[in-house]
Amino acid sequence: MNTVANVTGQYQHAGSSTLYAAVAVINDQQQLQICCQQSGDVLSESAAADYRYGTIIPGLPVELRLRDGAVFLPDDAHFRWPSQARSSGWAARLESHKLSIVAAVLLSPLLLWWIIFDLMPIMASAAVPLVPDSVKQQMGKQTFYTLQKTTLKPTELSASAQATVHYHWQMALQKLPLTNKNYQLHLYKSDFFGANAFALPDGTVVMTDDLVILLQNNPDAILAVLLHEMGHVEGQHSVRMVAQSLGATLVIGILFGSPDGVADLLLGSGTALLQNAFSRDMEREADNFSLTQLQVLGKSPKAFADAMSALLEASSADASTSNQLLKYLSTHPDTAERIKLATDLQQ
Amino acid sequence: MENSVSNDAASAENKPQRASKVVFSGQGGEFFGIWIVNLLLSIVTLGIYSAWATVRTRQYFYGHTQIEKQPFRYLASPMQILKGRIIAIVIFALFFAISYLSPVMAVVLAILFMFVSPWLVVQSLKFNLRMTSYRNVRFAFHGDYLGAFKYFILLPILSVFTLYLALPWALKKIDHYICSNTSFGGKKMQVTTDTSSYYIAALVAAAIVFGVMTVVAIIGVVLGILMAVTDSGNASAAALMTSVAVFVAYFFAFTLSGAIYHCMIRNHLFERTELPGIAKFKSKMEVLPFLMLTLTNLVAIVLTLGLAYPWAKVRKARYLASVTSLIIYPQIDTLVDEQQSENSAFGEEAAGLFDVDVSIA
Repeated sequence: MNTVANVTGQYQHAGSSTLYAAVAVINDQQQLQICCQQSGDVLSESAAADYRYGTIIPGLPVELRLRDGAVFLPDDAHFRWPSQARSSGWAARLESHKLSIVAAVLLSPLLLWWIIFDLMPIMASAAVPLVPDSVKQQMGKQTFYTLQKTTLKPTELSASAQATVHYHWQMALQKLPLTNKNYQLHLYKSDFFGANAFALPDGTVVMTDDLVILLQNNPDAILAVLLHEMGHVEGQHSVRMVAQSLGATLVIGILFGSPDGVADLLLGSGTALLQNAFSRDMEREADNFSLTQLQVLGKSPKAFADAMSALLEASSADASTSNQLLKYLSTHPDTAERIKLATDLQQ
Repeated sequence: MENSVSNDAASAENKPQRASKVVFSGQGGEFFGIWIVNLLLSIVTLGIYSAWATVRTRQYFYGHTQIEKQPFRYLASPMQILKGRIIAIVIFALFFAISYLSPVMAVVLAILFMFVSPWLVVQSLKFNLRMTSYRNVRFAFHGDYLGAFKYFILLPILSVFTLYLALPWALKKIDHYICSNTSFGGKKMQVTTDTSSYYIAALVAAAIVFGVMTVVAIIGVVLGILMAVTDSGNASAAALMTSVAVFVAYFFAFTLSGAIYHCMIRNHLFERTELPGIAKFKSKMEVLPFLMLTLTNLVAIVLTLGLAYPWAKVRKARYLASVTSLIIYPQIDTLVDEQQSENSAFGEEAAGLFDVDVSIA
């Protein structure tokens, strides 16, 4: 064990603001003696068990904490106690070593990316089967109830239009090997959703009047949309989305701490962009499900492209102006990209 | 300043008070190493090391914040932070999952959280102040649940019913509650803030937001007319530009008004707060330097994809220290905190089961 001779610093008794210019000595028994510089009086004597070394932080002196609450702080910020276990300085050595800093700059973003985009989706998928069916049922029921109360009105479609949609729905249900047993299709008029369709985790699928009207001349396109929504249910996307968003929020919150105004804005938008990225991945999965199942049903993948084209036209967005930046702000993949996928498959 | 001169002269015979500045001596480059290495270690350990990272970061910032060459100290142990963090994560995950499960439960939980949050705030203030020491004397927080509920929940909610007219008053009460319940070495702070100062600050801040928005709206209308007349540019590009411009203007307006409010209130609060017989405080924040600091920090962080964060944090700490000064009375040299000297100084031996800061960050 190392002895330490004559370290100058300041000493304070427990809970006392009175400062003593002092000298600390640690003998070969690891006994600590602190003496006043002016008077030479012994201020404190401690056995090895009754004092501890403070944390080693780059640029700061390492204090001695005494059991009774007294403190000795060396004057020299760069002084390190030779008697302190070398292992307690590893963090400080990494924090001030160029090589480890460069490594951290390179590795941190890569690992963070990997955790958020690879590890967490895997963990979310693994967690999904652990969620009991009754929970998914509740999730679907409650959300559906809230939507019915707020944004959905009874359908105004003609009986024949409704029959066409239900016919394709039933056909898909009968011919496809689906895992969810509680599929339910509902048609609603909704000004809020416009031409749209969505699926809830319990197997409830809602298609709006506007969308049926938009695709009324192309029943296969309606089927493609229904299959897309089934893809969300089969993939358990709602539950996965919850798990992934929760994971991402926690990871960012824990790693980047309580950010002040500036960083808050960035992290806030970062989390939103992440959610959109998760959403786009799931949309792609549902697209692929739809395209595959269309072929199983003996339909052309073109039906999916038709549905997308119709929606694109309806939203009057110009396919050529959807630029790279907007891509990240969207919850869905670029429509042109989705159409291309379908037409590629068709060839 | 005339006051302080005459004070000096008057008290020179018995108790010479001394003026001192807060000094922050941390270095951006040095903290960068600490930050990035701690970030990597936190990622590799799936967040567990973040408790150690938090403690090291606070120790760095406290240790470099000095008054009369004496540093502040952060005394919490990483295990205390880790425990609090695990509790917070479990609570947060439950809330998050349940509110997705059912909109009805989400409302119930929100109401429940409203009643729990004052306790969390008090707990956090108590923990963090007790873990802060200056010259080996600790700070403490003496607020209780009822007070916190009244000032953090009740008053802000009631102010909604006054169309937010009572909000500046509520904000004053909140600041007053926090500061007057803070003690150093067993001595509570005395706060004598004015309601009128809070109203003036709020009015100026609101006027700034309104003013910037009006200017942007006028520019938008003029540009819109120009584009319609000249028939230039396509509609979607214009829509995109408008939304970006509105976002930037919105952000700028709130940053500016936030900076003004923060400067005015901080200066006022420091001016009217003292530790009787120990210290008086002074803050001389100015809007323009603070705004420039905030904006340049933001730009630097964005341009470096976050790598400038440690530099920005150090820069802000240095600025806030540089505008803060104190009048210190000699009693500070002989303070003894009786209660403090009874307990063991080794955190983990003294800490109770719930002696934690329930916080994710």
